[in-house]
Amino acid sequence: MPDVQALVNDFVLKLKRRKIEGSHASARHTAELLRSVISHQRMRQTNQAGALIDAVKAVGEQLIAANPVELAVGNIVRRVLHIIREEDLSSTATAIEGLGLSAGSDDDDEGQYEDRPALSAAALAAAARSTLRAPSLQTLLGDIPGSAVTPQPPSSWGDSEGKSKSDKNLRSRKLKHDVIEAINELIQDIDTCHEQVSEQAVEHIHQNEVILTLGRSRTVKEFLCAAKEKNRSFRVFVAEGAPRYQGHVLAKELVGKGIQTTVITDSAVFAMISRVNMVIVGAHAIMANGGVVAPVGINMVALAAQRHAVPFVVVAGSHKLCPLYPHNSEVLLNDLKSPSDLVDFGEFSDCMDFGSHGGSPLLHVVNPAFDYVPPKLVSLFITDTGGHNPSYMYRLIADYYSADDLVVKQRSTS
Amino acid sequence: MWLRSASFVLDKRLQQQEPSSFFHDPRDSAQPPPPSPSVDPMDQNPDPNPNHGISAYYQTRAEHHAVVSSDWLAQAQAAIGRGAAPPSGCWPSAAASSAVAARTGSVGGGGGKPFSVIDEFNYWRKKPDLAEAVAAIMALAAVIRSSEATTMMELEIELKKASDTLKSWDTTSISLSAGCDLFMRYVTRTSALEYEDFDAAKLRLIERGEKFGEISLKARRTIAMLGQDFIFDSCTILVHGFSRVVFEVLKLAASNRKLFRVLCTEGRPDRTGLRFSNELAALGVPVKLLIDSAVAYSMDEVDMVFVGADGVVESGGIINMMGTYQIALVAHSMNKPVYVAAESYKFARLYPLDQKDLAPALRPIDFGVPIPSGVEVETSARDYTPPQYLTLLFTDLGVLTPSVVSDELIQLYL
Repeated sequence: MPDVQALVNDFVLKLKRRKIEGSHASARHTAELLRSVISHQRMRQTNQAGALIDAVKAVGEQLIAANPVELAVGNIVRRVLHIIREEDLSSTATAIEGLGLSAGSDDDDEGQYEDRPALSAAALAAAARSTLRAPSLQTLLGDIPGSAVTPQPPSSWGDSEGKSKSDKNLRSRKLKHDVIEAINELIQDIDTCHEQVSEQAVEHIHQNEVILTLGRSRTVKEFLCAAKEKNRSFRVFVAEGAPRYQGHVLAKELVGKGIQTTVITDSAVFAMISRVNMVIVGAHAIMANGGVVAPVGINMVALAAQRHAVPFVVVAGSHKLCPLYPHNSEVLLNDLKSPSDLVDFGEFSDCMDFGSHGGSPLLHVVNPAFDYVPPKLVSLFITDTGGHNPSYMYRLIADYYSADDLVVKQRSTS
Repeated sequence: MWLRSASFVLDKRLQQQEPSSFFHDPRDSAQPPPPSPSVDPMDQNPDPNPNHGISAYYQTRAEHHAVVSSDWLAQAQAAIGRGAAPPSGCWPSAAASSAVAARTGSVGGGGGKPFSVIDEFNYWRKKPDLAEAVAAIMALAAVIRSSEATTMMELEIELKKASDTLKSWDTTSISLSAGCDLFMRYVTRTSALEYEDFDAAKLRLIERGEKFGEISLKARRTIAMLGQDFIFDSCTILVHGFSRVVFEVLKLAASNRKLFRVLCTEGRPDRTGLRFSNELAALGVPVKLLIDSAVAYSMDEVDMVFVGADGVVESGGIINMMGTYQIALVAHSMNKPVYVAAESYKFARLYPLDQKDLAPALRPIDFGVPIPSGVEVETSARDYTPPQYLTLLFTDLGVLTPSVVSDELIQLYL
């Protein structure tokens, strides 16, 4: 346990100091860290899933608080929690079925008693399945509180005591094993997300097209290179993406792959957009309403694209999909970076002096890192699961996340 | 062009059905015309449409939330004096007492049934805090309790009959029919599933039906928690009509010490806005009253619009008090978000294509002066707001975008 805590503290420090940059790296590290936490967790006899969930929530709360703007960390924490719940449910369901069968085969003469365990087990499984799904109209009336369902299975099988004890030990080890397997798959998905997105490039990029992008997104780069490899001939306009000018780096990489590239300033986007067939950009995070948190300048590109009826396509891996809604996006989701990107030290040192003018200088230099693009400006999302409409995002979120995990808070009483 | 449209044909047909026109000026009194004396909401006969278009649903809402003006009272007095049976829709205490009498008296109705589901429904509906759908489900639960059926099929048939009676009694109330449908659906699913023992199943249905009131209150609290996240400090909120759910949201936000101000429309003809502003002022929230026409004038200082819903239709649009569509249009043109707070049992399987596609829900309007006989008055009490003008819906199923509504309905009904 102590070495896991050291790992957690180390990671939290890295997040706080922004040593880990980019959602891909953050997501991967978070997933690996949570995997270590789970494998080091000692398993109790009862309610193992609850214990795992508490442990992950405790660590997750620290990680999210360390860098709230890096939404990928929170996404992975919630994915892991959903995985634990799902694995627990599927193992309970199979155990119920197994026991139901055995109970049926044992006692033939006790006809009345035979029906009961099978019936209640089926009911429990149905109820359990419905509690895992998000609350829906179907479950509105048949509302069974979640706490009532989970302790029931061990208590109701009083008839086969010896079998159940060994079962429980098997189940506890199996649960941990299954969860770690699933987390390995998740890490695999995170690693291969670029390839899976790029596979769809050929369907969207056609011959002699002109594509516009802003800044440098690794997903976009691989997307374009994959289309080039399939011998599509197209041109790319790269807006440089001030103040970091990552667009220049992307332009060099594209030229290295043999793609005809044009570099423009961000201000020239509106002037050039009428000559463009499609805009393809990456995202920092995709919110639950289909809105996009993207590097600064992309909102402007989206507005220009809407004005000229150019399709605006966002490519992103599924680890960027966030189940939260962007209320108050300007304050909560933006990161103000150092003004040294814009102005050199010493240029404005007399205006920006906090010592004079009673502590409040007349000149401020603001360098926001992100922009929020509302869902109505986005035409298509391309994720590793395929192409989707912004209004479809809620489905993916329901698949990947549980409703209980939206607020990752450790329960005060465990 | 107006003469040939479908809506005109419909209006014409309606007018032909009713030989007596609604609005004749009473030359004897200086008061506006009273509701037709043939209107008798408390009719003991289960007459298919005893209200002749006057919506009992909106009448109840007016009673609960509107300002009872002196001439409305005088009107009601006059109607009582004129009509054969007390039109207890206008006079709550008389209605409550007669309803109680009808319940306790075993042979209550001229319809020949000792137990009248309509009486039961009216009894529950008079309580100002109870939603329509909850009252309907309570009434249906009471039907189950008083039923003498011995099999599930018989019980279902009885319930279907009772539900149809309720629906035909007030064709304008969407949450009433949605609540009935939901309960019927639940009954059909429960009977198909677990219970071998009829009495146990019956007890469970009754218990669920009566618990539904709690579910409805819990729903409001969930919606309040979700909605108040979107209220940030120093924001200005525009509200329309008195929705108990929206009031919960604002109450919770105020108790969480959020600083915001509310612009409240008057909400003619019921003037429910006056009542709403009273309640908000009691909470200490700064309120400003607007006449309905002043919405566009004030819209640029508004940050968000909050409305409730009488019903949520399959397209994701809402049916709400007259004026909501207007406000949504103005808000949309000025890029202000429109948030709807509605419980999930208000989701209905309707798909209106335009405003006249709904069953007419009429409410006589008190202009304060007599209207000459040749002048028509638009008396519809509600309108339909299409989904493209709504930003988000807060329901007890979570925060939803309008496109999710049809998904939920499909999951339940198909």
